[in-house]
Amino acid sequence: MAITIDEAYFDALADSVIDGEDEDCVRLVNDGLEAGVDPLEAVEKGLAKGINQVGVDFGAGVIFLPELAMAADTMKMGAAILDEKIRESGSKRMSHGTIVIGTIKGDIHDIGKSVVAAVLQANGYNVVDIGIDVDIDTFIQALKDNNADVLGMSTLLTLPLMTMGEVIEKLKEVGMRDKIKVIVGGCPVTQEFADEIGADAVGFDAQDAVVKLDGLMGVNRQVAVARG
Amino acid sequence: MVHDAAIRVLQEGGVRCDDERAAKMFEAVGCTLENDRQLVKIPEKAVMAALKTCPSSFTLHGRDDPTKDCSIGTGEVHFCTVTGRYIDDIRTGERRKVTRQDAIDGTLMADALENVHGLYKPVMWLFDEEMICNSQILTAEWMKHTNKPGTWVYNTGAEHEVADLIKMWQIAAGGEEEMRAKPHMLGHVVVNPPRVIDVHYTDWLIGFCDSGTPLSIESALMGGATGPATRAGMLVQCMVEIYALVVQAQSYKPGHPLAFCSFNPAMDMRTGLWACGTPEYGINGGGIAAMAKYHNIPVVGFGMSDACEFDQQSAFEKALKNYNYALAGLSWVIDLGGTAGFNLVSWPEMVLENEMVEYIGEYLKGIVVDEERLSVDTILKVGPLPGSYMKEKHTRNWFRKEFYIPELSNKEFFESWERGHVELQEKAKAKALDILDNHQSPVAPEIQQELDDYLAHCLKRDLG
Repeated sequence: MAITIDEAYFDALADSVIDGEDEDCVRLVNDGLEAGVDPLEAVEKGLAKGINQVGVDFGAGVIFLPELAMAADTMKMGAAILDEKIRESGSKRMSHGTIVIGTIKGDIHDIGKSVVAAVLQANGYNVVDIGIDVDIDTFIQALKDNNADVLGMSTLLTLPLMTMGEVIEKLKEVGMRDKIKVIVGGCPVTQEFADEIGADAVGFDAQDAVVKLDGLMGVNRQVAVARG
Repeated sequence: MVHDAAIRVLQEGGVRCDDERAAKMFEAVGCTLENDRQLVKIPEKAVMAALKTCPSSFTLHGRDDPTKDCSIGTGEVHFCTVTGRYIDDIRTGERRKVTRQDAIDGTLMADALENVHGLYKPVMWLFDEEMICNSQILTAEWMKHTNKPGTWVYNTGAEHEVADLIKMWQIAAGGEEEMRAKPHMLGHVVVNPPRVIDVHYTDWLIGFCDSGTPLSIESALMGGATGPATRAGMLVQCMVEIYALVVQAQSYKPGHPLAFCSFNPAMDMRTGLWACGTPEYGINGGGIAAMAKYHNIPVVGFGMSDACEFDQQSAFEKALKNYNYALAGLSWVIDLGGTAGFNLVSWPEMVLENEMVEYIGEYLKGIVVDEERLSVDTILKVGPLPGSYMKEKHTRNWFRKEFYIPELSNKEFFESWERGHVELQEKAKAKALDILDNHQSPVAPEIQQELDDYLAHCLKRDLG
C-alpha cells in the first residue's frame, strides 16, 4: 500500500534518524520515493530535521555518543539513496559544507576522529570519513572526488604530526589550498603547531571542532531546544 | 566463566595479525592461521601452556641499591609516577606545556620521594625539543637523574626508538648483561583493540624479550568504543587480548617474565574520551587482578583520575582506586603526580600523593597480633581510671611503629588552625621546591657521560 507524503511521514523519517533505526529509515525513504516524495524535501524535512535534533540533544547532554553515532550512520544511509535522486534531478542538497576527515598515515587510532565525524554530521556537515592510516595522496584524491570544502586530519601520535604539514604543502602544490579549509586535531596537536604547519583551525574536542568549523564556514546557528 | 568466554573468542574468532613475525610466533605453538595468515585462532591448550611457562614473580631492580628493588608478584605493592603533557609550574604558577627541564625536575622529584618506588616517563613529550629523537632525549634525562626502576610504553614510533631506548637502559644498568641479570624497566606491550596484534608493539616485544626486560601485557580497550559496554564483556575482551599477547611472548621467549596489566577505561559517552577515574575502570583492574591470581601471574596497572586539576575529584578518584588496587593485589601502580588522563603533572601533587601512598601502606599493615602488641600487661597496669598510657614505656616503644604520623596532612586543633595555618598545598609546594633546590642525582657521573655520548650519537644520526 502506497504511503501518504505528509507531515507524519516526514516526522517518521526524522524519528528513524533520531532513533538510529537504519532499516526503518531506508524503508521509509524507498516507500516515500515510490509515493513520489521530493527527495530534497525528504532530506530537509525528514533526515536533516532528525539529525539536527540529535545534534541539539547531544549538546544538551540528553543523548550520548553511541546514540549520536548511530543516528549519523542512519542519516548517511537514507541520504545516500536520496542524494542519488537529487543528483539525477540536477539539484543539490544543503549542508554547511563537505569535510573529508581521516587519521593521518602512521596512526591507526580511530575513535577520536570518528567522534568528531559523528558530531559534525549531527551539526549539519556532510562528512566523508576516509578512515585511518591515510596517506597524503588519498587525502588529496578524496577532497577532489567529493568536491570538499574542508580537510580534517587527526592523530594521537607525535611523529605523524609531520605528515599533516606535508598534506597541507601538497594542497598548495596542486593548487587546492585556497579553496580548502584545514582543521586538525588529536592529543599532541597544539595551536602553535597548527599555526606552524598553516592549518586554519584546531578542534580540541568534537564540540570545539563544530565551533571552529562554523567560524571558518560562516555558519550562524539558531538557538535550538533539546528534547526533555 | 570469564576464562571460558575468553577462550571461546580466541578459538572461534581469534585475533588479527598483520605481521609475519608475529604469525610465526603463534604458528610455532599450535595456533591456526587463516585468511592469508592474518587471522590467528588460538586454542586453549596454547594459552594454558604459555601461562604455565610464565614465572609467578620477578624483580624490577634499583640500579644502585637493592632497597630500591620492586618485587612484582610477591604481594608487595609499589607506586610509580604517571606522565603528562602540561605542568602546573611550581615557580610561576603558570599552566604550560612540558619541557626538557621538567623531565629532569620530575625525575629528581620522584627520586627524592621515598614512597615513589618507580617512574613512568616523567613527562609525555619534550615540547621544546625536536619530535625526532624526543624519546631519546627524554630517556637520557630520566636515566641520568634516578636509579629507581621504571616502566615504558611506546612513545613516538620513531625509527630507532626501540633500539636506542633499550641501549640507554643498558648503559644505565652498567651494561647489556648487567641489565639482563637485573632488569630495571618494565616494558609495556599493548594490543590494538579490538583484537589486533600491533606491528609496532611486536617490535617492542622482541626488543624487550631480547634484552631481558620483563613485559607488562595490556589490552587498553575502551569500553563502548573498542570494547563491549558491559563490565563483564570488557573483562572478557581484556583477557582475550592479554592471553593472545602471553601466547605470542612465551612462544618467542619461553619463561620470559611478564605481568598482566590493567588500563581499560570505559569511553565517556559525552566526550568520547577515556574515563580513567570511574568505578568501572577500577573494577576492571580488580577483575584483571583476579584473573592474574587465578593463573598465578603478577599484575600491574595504571591508576589515574579524570579531573582536570588537582582537586577533590582527583583526590577521591585516586585514593579510592589506588586502595582498591592495593587490596586487589596489583604489584605496580602507575599513578602518582598526574591527572587528567596523561595530561597534567604537578610536583607538589606528587609530594602529596607520596603521603597518600604512605596512608595506603598503613592500611595494608592491618592489625598485627602478638603478645607484646596485645598489651595485656600494660592494660592491667594502667587502668581503671585514674591512669594514663601516655607516660608508659610500652607507649613510647610502640606508638611510632603502630600509629601513622603524617608529614603534611593536618592534625592541628581546629581553632588553632583557624587562627593561622599553612595550606596543605603550600606545605607540599615548599617541600617540592626544597627537593628541586637541593636534591642531587644519585647516578654515577661516568654513566651520565655515557648516556650523553649515546644521545649525541642519536642526535647526529637523526638530525645531522
